[in-house]
Amino acid sequence: MEHALRVVNEMARLGIIKSYAIGGGVAATYFIEPVLTYDLDIFFVPAKEGIDVLAPVYDYAREKGFPSQAEAILVKGFPVQFIPAYNDLVREAIANAVTLSYRGVEARVVSAEYLAAISLQTGRAKDRERLALLLEAAILDRSVLDGILREHGLSEKFEKFSRIVHEG
Amino acid sequence: MKDSVADPIFEKKRERRRQLAKLPFERKVAIIVEMQKAAVAIRKDPRRRVWPLDR
Repeated sequence: MEHALRVVNEMARLGIIKSYAIGGGVAATYFIEPVLTYDLDIFFVPAKEGIDVLAPVYDYAREKGFPSQAEAILVKGFPVQFIPAYNDLVREAIANAVTLSYRGVEARVVSAEYLAAISLQTGRAKDRERLALLLEAAILDRSVLDGILREHGLSEKFEKFSRIVHEG
Repeated sequence: MKDSVADPIFEKKRERRRQLAKLPFERKVAIIVEMQKAAVAIRKDPRRRVWPLDR
């Protein structure tokens, strides 16, 4: 995975992407127990807004000889999925990302509170499971989380989710 | 629904998960690779690939 992280850092350094943060299962694994996942999700802010914000990413990958598979780019066999920041919450998560270190490579990862908020907002079965795990692990700063939820109109959804988890 | 007989077992599982959460990130990624291998072996699916880990 360190090769993939180096490539993403290089893309940010070259301005192919403006900024980024790891999300999804790898981010969850950083904060809680290992979660089965098959790719490295990278939320990114495009260098230029436009219709095809993924084009510079794929152009760079092609130039470097990294094949693509489905929606992912394979970096030495490691699937990396680039997801443009699709709303304010994700953009804010990237801006407030924290730094992790993996085998000597530093990389940006969304904070646990933003990961929880994004999981709640996305709301697929695996996102709900991830949110439940984050809550159970008791690693979330509730005042920070509450602020994020309020800002993005997710407080009510969170209350409903919490009730279900506690009653379940 | 809660079951008093099962509760201690679930608590042990939660404790195990808490311990796993405390592992270094590198070790956790290695565990994901092991999980991927097991999942691929159970369900042959070409879209599922095991991450290469340099040793």
